Amino acid sequence: MRLVRDLGRRKLRSTLTITGITIGIMALVVFGSMANKIDALVKGGSEYYQGKVTVSAKGGYMGLGGVLSTKMADQIATLAGVDVVVPSVQLMLNDDVSGVSMGTPPMIDGAVAGADKGRETFPIHYATGRALTAADEGSRVVVLGSDLARQFNAQVGDTVTLRNVKFQVVGILEPTLTAPDNSAMVPLAAAQQLYVRTLSDLVADRLNVNEIATGLVVYPKPGADPEKIADEIDANVAGITTMTGKDFDQQIGAATSMLNAILIGIGLLSLVIGGLSVINTMAMSVAERTREIGIKRAIGASRWRIRREIVIESAIIGLIGGLTGLGLGYVITTLGNDAGRSSATILFDLTFGTAFSSVAFATILGAAAGFIPAWHASRLDPVTALRYE
Amino acid sequence: MAILEGRNLRKTYKLSRRNTVEALKGVEISIEQGEMVAIMGPSGSGKSTLMHILGLLHAPDPNHGPAPELYLGGENVASLSDNARTRIRARRMGFVFQDFNLVPTLTALENVMLAGDYAGIRGKQARQAAVDALALVGLNERADHKPVELSGGEQQRVALARALVNKPEIILADEPTGNLDSDRSAEVLALLRQFNREHGQTIVLVTHDAEVGEACDRVIRMRDGRIRDDGQRTSVNRATPTMALPAMAASA
Repeated sequence: MRLVRDLGRRKLRSTLTITGITIGIMALVVFGSMANKIDALVKGGSEYYQGKVTVSAKGGYMGLGGVLSTKMADQIATLAGVDVVVPSVQLMLNDDVSGVSMGTPPMIDGAVAGADKGRETFPIHYATGRALTAADEGSRVVVLGSDLARQFNAQVGDTVTLRNVKFQVVGILEPTLTAPDNSAMVPLAAAQQLYVRTLSDLVADRLNVNEIATGLVVYPKPGADPEKIADEIDANVAGITTMTGKDFDQQIGAATSMLNAILIGIGLLSLVIGGLSVINTMAMSVAERTREIGIKRAIGASRWRIRREIVIESAIIGLIGGLTGLGLGYVITTLGNDAGRSSATILFDLTFGTAFSSVAFATILGAAAGFIPAWHASRLDPVTALRYE
Repeated sequence: MAILEGRNLRKTYKLSRRNTVEALKGVEISIEQGEMVAIMGPSGSGKSTLMHILGLLHAPDPNHGPAPELYLGGENVASLSDNARTRIRARRMGFVFQDFNLVPTLTALENVMLAGDYAGIRGKQARQAAVDALALVGLNERADHKPVELSGGEQQRVALARALVNKPEIILADEPTGNLDSDRSAEVLALLRQFNREHGQTIVLVTHDAEVGEACDRVIRMRDGRIRDDGQRTSVNRATPTMALPAMAASA
């Protein structure tokens, strides 16, 4: 278009200005993708913890900590409002936690399949293979989450080694964008055995392997309030701590909201700076074209037309900056995800929404930055502008 | 029929807080359709200012005297808004400047089409009108060249084509030969005369060049913000009263 040619008049200046927007959009895209990822994790977590009470040993956190007993499950099952209690054993896949950044570290997750009697509502979909069944108890089989499967480069039928023990892969999950992607689900007995090995002999000797649990999931009866049940459990069972969906939202949700705000804030700040650069460039461009504007006004261009020309030009600057920023942001998030894949850490989720709104925002920012210079241009007196040197 | 008529045209410019310039002190003017009129006078005589008012670039001052009157084709245009004046300039007038004033990033054809665009000519018609206008000034082969690739004379001819593309009621030219050598000046002058004689195009020009003045139907001479001689050969010379006073005083 004609107007793009106007940008070509001062190539260096246009390039520098566009680069300002590019950097701002790139930051917004990258940080926005990070925020998307965090949101997905948190949402997944929140969904999971809703409508149930998670019991773990006091001093532990989300299942990583001390030992409970499956006998506690029976005790809790007798409390009012409690429907089903499912014991589980969770332990880290690797003891080395240095690679952990965002999200959950890879975990081994053992439970008796079907023990929830259908109460579990968190959707789990299988990409290949099958789910674990109660009949698998006693075998060494595993269902892998999508990220772990990729890390092991495993398919159904392969054998993988978890904590020095061989397991056969019977199923692989679809990506969930949250914790299960990083989990290896095994039968309860297998997990209990693995867990025992992590304990010192002194402790291990005193435990009955078959009664080991690191967490209990308590499903309420329909209509029962998980909060009340959590309070009851706290009152009646010693040495444990409970967590409900509300607890999760409060603890994690608040922290991640703030993180989101900081990330987006940084991105927006970069854009404001880029926008100021556009205003500056357009102002200079208008000043340099004073005479030309005078000519156009003299031969009949309305004030509105002059304004439109300037605003469209600066919108194009925004658009080009937005597209290149998006492109660079895409490269960065893709490289980042590839780099993190080996440690099963996917950091970025660049959604279509993020991409589209970033480019749209850049274009609108460009147009808005052009308003003031455009307004000044349209107010020039044609006669004086014509004579301008 | 008078295509452009003005009475009580005054204009004072405020250059700074204390520095005002009374550029036009009360001008009466009438231009017939099909006339080619030159406005001449020394610097500061107000000829450019008169041109700007006739071209609706500025509005005449409404205060400090009888109300100004300005008619274009019989229509009262003395106190129009900026937008209204801009519309009339775009659709019914054509302008030629001393410095050619073409848009440097556009080709000759695009420069002419721009004026058509402002005049509301759209699409295919716009292109055709521009091509026709360039043909009238003999520059079709240079249509795709940018101003920097054209000579001064060629640029001014493009400017002329631009002024013609909307088939204006009147063309206003401010020193159209001012930046051209004598050969190119003659070329441009010949073109203007051609449009005037063959197509009846009304042309008003401001000039210093006596030759240009002689090529016109009449010459309006200005001095100190007033018309001293409106060049009408058939009617009495309207000398301004202030000019007559010293003579009367002397003879008293």
